[in-house]
Amino acid sequence: MRLINVFRYTGTWRGWWRRWLPALTVAGLLSAPAMGEERESLTIGITQFPSTLNPNIDAMAAKSYVLGMALRPFTVYDADWRLVCLLCVTLPSIENGLAVPVDLADGKKGIDITYTIRPEATWGDGVPVTTADVLFTYEVGRHPESAIGNAELYRRITGIDVKDDKTFTLHVDKLTFDYAAINDFVLLPAHIERAAFKEPAQYRVRTRYNADPTNPGLYNGPYRVSEVVAGSHILFEPNPHWAGPPGHFKRITVRAIENTAALEANLLSGTIDMVAGELGLSLDEALAFEKRHGEGFQMIFKPGLVFEHIDLNLERPALADRRVRQALIMGLDREAISTSLFAGRQKVADSFVNPLDAGYSAGTPRYHYDPARAAALLDEAGWRAQGGGLRRNAQGDTLLLELMTTAGNRTRELVEQVLQSQWRKIGVDIRIKNEPARVLFGETVPHRQFDMAMYAWISAPEDVPRSTLYSSEIPDASNGFAGQNASGFKSPEMDRLIDALEIELDPMKRKTLWAAVQKLYATELPSLPLYFRSDTFILPKWLKGVGPTGNQYPSTLWITDWTAQP
Amino acid sequence: MRGPLLLLAAIAVVSFAGPPLGAALGIDLNAVDLVDRLAGPSLMHPLGTDELGRDVLMRLLAGGRVSLTIGIAAALAAAAFGTLAGLVAGYLGGWTDRVMMRLTDGIIALPLLPLLIVLAALDLRKLGVPAVLAQSDDINLIRIVVLAVLVSWTTAARLVRGATLVTRNRDFVRAATSLGAGIPHILWTHILPNVLAPLIVATTLSVGDVILLESVLSFLGLGIQPPLASWGTMLSNAQELITSAPFLALYPGAMIFLTVIAANLFGDALQQRFDRRAAAHD
Amino acid sequence: MIRFTAIRLVEIAAVVVLMSFVIYALIGLMPGDPIDLMRQADPRMSAADVARLKAVYGVDQPLFARYLAWAGQALSGDLGYSRLFAAPVWSALLPRLANSLLLMGSSFVLALALALGLGTAAARRPHSRFDAAINLFSFAGVSMPTFWLALMLILIFAAGLGWLPASGIATAGMSNLGDRLAHLVLPVATLTLASVGGYTRYVRAAMKEALAQDHIRTARAKGASEARIILHHALRSAMIPVTTILALSFGGLVSGALVTETMFAYPGMGKLIFDAVMGNDYNLALAALLLATVTTLLANLAADLAYGWLDPRVTYR
Repeated sequence: MRLINVFRYTGTWRGWWRRWLPALTVAGLLSAPAMGEERESLTIGITQFPSTLNPNIDAMAAKSYVLGMALRPFTVYDADWRLVCLLCVTLPSIENGLAVPVDLADGKKGIDITYTIRPEATWGDGVPVTTADVLFTYEVGRHPESAIGNAELYRRITGIDVKDDKTFTLHVDKLTFDYAAINDFVLLPAHIERAAFKEPAQYRVRTRYNADPTNPGLYNGPYRVSEVVAGSHILFEPNPHWAGPPGHFKRITVRAIENTAALEANLLSGTIDMVAGELGLSLDEALAFEKRHGEGFQMIFKPGLVFEHIDLNLERPALADRRVRQALIMGLDREAISTSLFAGRQKVADSFVNPLDAGYSAGTPRYHYDPARAAALLDEAGWRAQGGGLRRNAQGDTLLLELMTTAGNRTRELVEQVLQSQWRKIGVDIRIKNEPARVLFGETVPHRQFDMAMYAWISAPEDVPRSTLYSSEIPDASNGFAGQNASGFKSPEMDRLIDALEIELDPMKRKTLWAAVQKLYATELPSLPLYFRSDTFILPKWLKGVGPTGNQYPSTLWITDWTAQP
Repeated sequence: MRGPLLLLAAIAVVSFAGPPLGAALGIDLNAVDLVDRLAGPSLMHPLGTDELGRDVLMRLLAGGRVSLTIGIAAALAAAAFGTLAGLVAGYLGGWTDRVMMRLTDGIIALPLLPLLIVLAALDLRKLGVPAVLAQSDDINLIRIVVLAVLVSWTTAARLVRGATLVTRNRDFVRAATSLGAGIPHILWTHILPNVLAPLIVATTLSVGDVILLESVLSFLGLGIQPPLASWGTMLSNAQELITSAPFLALYPGAMIFLTVIAANLFGDALQQRFDRRAAAHD
Repeated sequence: MIRFTAIRLVEIAAVVVLMSFVIYALIGLMPGDPIDLMRQADPRMSAADVARLKAVYGVDQPLFARYLAWAGQALSGDLGYSRLFAAPVWSALLPRLANSLLLMGSSFVLALALALGLGTAAARRPHSRFDAAINLFSFAGVSMPTFWLALMLILIFAAGLGWLPASGIATAGMSNLGDRLAHLVLPVATLTLASVGGYTRYVRAAMKEALAQDHIRTARAKGASEARIILHHALRSAMIPVTTILALSFGGLVSGALVTETMFAYPGMGKLIFDAVMGNDYNLALAALLLATVTTLLANLAADLAYGWLDPRVTYR
């Protein structure tokens, strides 16, 4: 009633205009970017909001992305997948004498590693980063009730010797080839967090990263957190006590938009400037976007370390036979999938080792699409094709396998349907049965109630596959279903290779071991390798200097290299 | 009224007849063709192909079959279940009624999500469901129908209870009771016909609601699983391709819209017809 | 009426207690817990880590014991900590509740106002083309999936025309009213368009029936103005379905709109409940869901009481 009356009241055209002008002006002013300051601020869109900002509790990709701008870890793998020092001065090695192997009491070999914190490293409130922080972080990491996610690192360090305010030596109880990598040892500011740690069991609740996230003293990187709106965005501003080269941008906003279609719309409307590759669109979404809007943006595709594969449950009678597994992979035209669905940007994988990785061996057995050979192998294994295309064995069972993956993941669902159609052609009947991620990873995979499960392994450069291929890591009641060797791969040879690989310091000898590991994997096929996922970075034309890494260490660690070209 | 009804019937007939016809003509619904993706309309594919090269028209019709089945089955089941509950509560009154009303209040407030995830994860074989059914492709359909019924039976129950409360005090019911008629007979012969009118309207309207529910479940990743197609999954999947292949979203979206609005208009017309009849009688 | 209210309040309390157990059990029955999901994302976590974290977060206890512990705490006023936000439940809940009240409240008021206007106008011209047009329009809004409507609005007004921001509640660093209003426009528009149709139909049906009543004819015969007839006489009768709508939608004020919030990245209660449930954050999920339940039940009670006041013929047993 009131609406109709409004229109009747104003009557003339001029009156209408006057009524709407203020609203239109306001809307216009709010949406037009202010010309002068556009290039000093940057808005990044990601698909998930970090739940807590404490670097050591609850590992999350969104959190490491965001903290990459504000916290310096000691060591990381850079864009060339080399280990580099960020917070330390020199990377310790046996050659430069900063790392000294020692013989331990039980006959094993350990190592003492000395690090020096950068002299100019300071927390955002002016307090310098010192070994007091190192000792505090160690104390928190070792405490059983502090809810630190990855305590393996702290377990390995049996003690710390402090030489002065900036130099300390770690006593590590196992000599592995990546001894210098203490990437997960992210320092907590002792002068602020000690109060929160008074009751260790309450630390995860009292930590100032959640209670007071805008406190500048919590951050020692080029930027600090200046505003947090839970579920929506985080605002970063330059850290006044940062002594290194300053970042170009005066304000960086990270916005979380979970729905990818909405994320794209935000990009097109200018609400966000860029989409982070680490947490953005999937490749097929990005390719579709490129086709339509690619000219207005820079699109960078970076292959990464996320290994998409299909775990085969080796306890299922059909899959226990290696010939069947090999037939399965030969019946797949993975090249066609890569070319048509992914425009060739996600190359076919031969094993879980990425071609850019130092351990990669080009001699790994490669399977090409060969349906004739696949059919022959299946016949050999006792699965004969009947009329109607299905295969039966001597007992009369049909060759029917269930393929599972995370429900709601469109890319995986697409790939599944292609696989189903290809396998049907060689007489393997596939039933697709998808489950939500929490069901798949919470119950089905750990309890090994699947035939074939398609998902991804996330790894790091030269990451030894202990948890995924070692025989003691098969999830069962004895380890609380916590192992990741879901296919149930038991090979004494693989166990031996893994043990040898971890402690081999000579890079050339390691390469040989890696080659053997990959050859064994590709021959036995406990899982079917598909491809390595590529990250897509969609950047505005004026943004330069973004360096995608392709590994789990985000590009934001080098935020000071990012500039805007006018 | 004839208009929407004809539209609904047309959609239903085409959806149910289409896929068998297509199969007879040799068009395979699930044939993945990686070469001919996202193609425009052609003689071979009147509506083009989707992101895996499958014929959009056939998938649309098969999707219609799934969506309509879910919608109609859930609406009818919810109506049946709700009517039973409403009749009993309305007629018996007293404690039965109170408990029923509080129960429906509780169900309305029940969170859908954990319920659906639990349903998705239950091992049906442990519940005694025969293995053939538990592993069939249709189990997903049944799960969604069960959820839709759980959510929508309360509307029918409330409606029927209200109408029963009014009808049971009328003379012809009192006459029947005094003549010694048993409760089931009274419920079936005397009360039910009088509560049928609003019930039919509500059921017709709920068909549309269930189809929309199915599409929201697909949006959340908890709906129909591939390779079975439904309008909801086709629409959800087309979201990301909205700028590069908008027609993929247009067709299922249009079908959902047409079906739901036809169902709603039909229900509305029915309601007006019943109102006029009721007004004429009184 | 006092007796009626008292009995209903007791019943509501009983329902809330029952619901708390049902919800707790449902969340607990969901397979997997967040530690398992954490393990999937972090391959370095060992079996010992998993066991330790499960003990720290208390998820290795049996369900019933955990429920009793929670109930005991809740009854003494302590709703516990939210694992997802690592903060007390209330401090995680309140800002989201405020956001949802703003969003849902605005769209509800707007939709109701539009519905009253359109529905009354349609009722006054029954069976005309205007009536048919209103009918079609009201059905159009409710015949589309909400995520679709949201996406269309974003594409047209944000990506296409650039008039409005596509997501969020505010531009980072700005806290002025104009900015927040601009961010509210599209989500409110989505919700309004989705619900106005249903409300319009209710209002139209009730107004039609009210306008056909005898006392309206008498008032007209007495020479009362059209405005007075509508506003004073007919509206009173129309308040009953409006009260029904109010009661049904009240729960929504607290439980938010999951789909709209996801599409617009608007941090409200709908997304909170979804994330809390999916993340097995019992404390937060229970607090939010029970709040929604209590609101719905109290709203129903208020509606029932209002019926009695509006229509003296209704009696309470």
